[in-house]
Amino acid sequence: MSSDLVIHDLQARIGEKEILKGVNLTVRAGTIHAIMGPNGSGKSTLAHVIAGHPGYEVTGGEIWYKEHNVLELEPDERSKLGLFLAFQYPVAVPGVTVANFLRAAINAHRAQEGQDPKATAIPVAEFRKQLREGMKQLEMDESFARRYLNEGFSGGEKKRLEILQMTLLKPSMAVMDETDSGLDIDALRIVAEGVNRLAGPSMGALVITHYQRLLNYIKPQFVSVMMDGRIVRDGGPELALELEEKGYDWLREELAGAA
Amino acid sequence: MLPLMLKELTADTIAGRARAAGEPAWLIERRETAWSFFAQAAPPVWRRTDLSGLDADALSVVPGSVALSVVWDEAMAAQGVVVKPLRQALASHGELIRQYLDAAVPPLEHKFSALRAALWQDGAFVYVPRGVAAEAPIHVRYTLPEGSRTTFPRTLVIVEATAQVTVIEDFVGPDQLAPALAAPVSEIFAGPGSKVRFISVQRWGGGVYHIGGQRLLLDRDADAEWTSIALGGQVQHIEAETTLKGDGSRVNWLGATFASGTQTLLSAPWLRHVGHSAESFMQFKTVVNDTGYSVFDGMIKIERESSSTSTRLEEHALHLSPKARNDSIPGLKIDTNSVIKGGHASTSGDVEEEQLFYMQSRGISKADAKRMIVMGFFNPALDTIPLEELRRELEALIEGKI
Repeated sequence: MSSDLVIHDLQARIGEKEILKGVNLTVRAGTIHAIMGPNGSGKSTLAHVIAGHPGYEVTGGEIWYKEHNVLELEPDERSKLGLFLAFQYPVAVPGVTVANFLRAAINAHRAQEGQDPKATAIPVAEFRKQLREGMKQLEMDESFARRYLNEGFSGGEKKRLEILQMTLLKPSMAVMDETDSGLDIDALRIVAEGVNRLAGPSMGALVITHYQRLLNYIKPQFVSVMMDGRIVRDGGPELALELEEKGYDWLREELAGAA
Repeated sequence: MLPLMLKELTADTIAGRARAAGEPAWLIERRETAWSFFAQAAPPVWRRTDLSGLDADALSVVPGSVALSVVWDEAMAAQGVVVKPLRQALASHGELIRQYLDAAVPPLEHKFSALRAALWQDGAFVYVPRGVAAEAPIHVRYTLPEGSRTTFPRTLVIVEATAQVTVIEDFVGPDQLAPALAAPVSEIFAGPGSKVRFISVQRWGGGVYHIGGQRLLLDRDADAEWTSIALGGQVQHIEAETTLKGDGSRVNWLGATFASGTQTLLSAPWLRHVGHSAESFMQFKTVVNDTGYSVFDGMIKIERESSSTSTRLEEHALHLSPKARNDSIPGLKIDTNSVIKGGHASTSGDVEEEQLFYMQSRGISKADAKRMIVMGFFNPALDTIPLEELRRELEALIEGKI
């Protein structure tokens, strides 16, 4: 089932600090939508609030996806609904191997209420096959699967693992939080190819980035600009190029002039 | 034999029983010496081990009997490996036992060590001759039979030069209706160039007070791995030591302790460096839940005669409940100037919210994420267990405590 991700007047804070001050945004199903903005504009907060990070307090607004009020769901329920967050800073979990983690995540997605989890679990051979293929596409060594989750991983390894998880979980809407940060050109290419393979009719993507660089590899149909906790401008790919050329200051001045 | 009340025992009754059982004179003499020490010694001052729930006057002892089972590959007997109850081995290997028994864990250290030396009943004897690789693990299980309120088992493992062995010592039993006392002693002698893996598992049922002494003594170039797992019982007080006596000896010592309910589990593992160029690493992991309390009283002791020591001690604790507690008291005592590397670290904290969120964001429920994090925390220790079935049993026990 395809669906738009609809964010309406979303307000959120961390502690006493207001960060999102009324975000309005619709990410249409099956499209790539980039959000650009200077540091501290609230882009990463938006990504975390969509995924349900407990550290942020939502003080107003709504997020709708597939006829669910997303804000009422636990993070794991949001994942099962088809939402995926590719983390800017993936978290290390010592002692839990990549393979075991991935299998647990896949099985959580396959589980059906009222059914024995063993009956819906992915067969071992099928899991191995999917894992092997996914790792090959992302040019990851097979030994990767036996390492502990993100522990001692380089920046590039962490981001590839995020894309591997996305590949195996097949979300219908992916939020990519600064996926390009900390990547060299080779890693960026591999990661972008991974996203491009998945993006399309069955997966929409909200691509959050500070720089235009990533958008040379992942081509958005829509671009929105975020500043000071609000979406301040919507446009097409040309908006990203304009920002790259002129920076964010002209937009800031223009908005100040309009106000 | 009939049970005797602990409070009615005397040196004479102990010696009389031992004689009746046909024990050698040296052993009877040691029992008498240990008993007179016990009778005179004041109780040890253990500030973090509360024994007030154990009424010693209500305890009885069945001399000569320990519920013991050993699973091992008997084909290894053809290589000269000996595995048998210690009492039987007294007849076949009396001289060896006289030489090694009590040579690692000093019997007259405190009241409880003396009690253990005076009253030990039976145990496991493992002997691996020079150069022999005993490939299959030897699994020794001690249980507390229904109705029995005390057990005093002994494990004696003698590994000769360049030999190899894996021994699992496993204390297991159902919940007790009334407090019971388990007071075991384990002594492992690793000969020159030997490779020894020792896994000790304490998974008694509720109500058991476990007061144990363990020591692994490493000769020249001996290479040891020790895993200490503590999950069961009501109160645990284990004094353990690896003595790196021989030059070039090495030990890698991992621990996993989980105190839940109203348990108090104390481990006092010591690394004692005596030889030259010896290397040691200790990493104990502790999880506490409910109102459980655990104590890590670890110590690195680098003796004056040692040199070029490399050592590191770590303890990491994870709290699953705000009412659970753990005390970590790592110590480092150095009596020489010749240390290459010596350090310790300890951490303590709750399950990290960022870890839970990350895992949940992939569809895994909070409860499952927590379970995976705890299991992952213990993984380095669990990974050393060579028996699949035992590992699964321990994992199930751990899951039940989360």
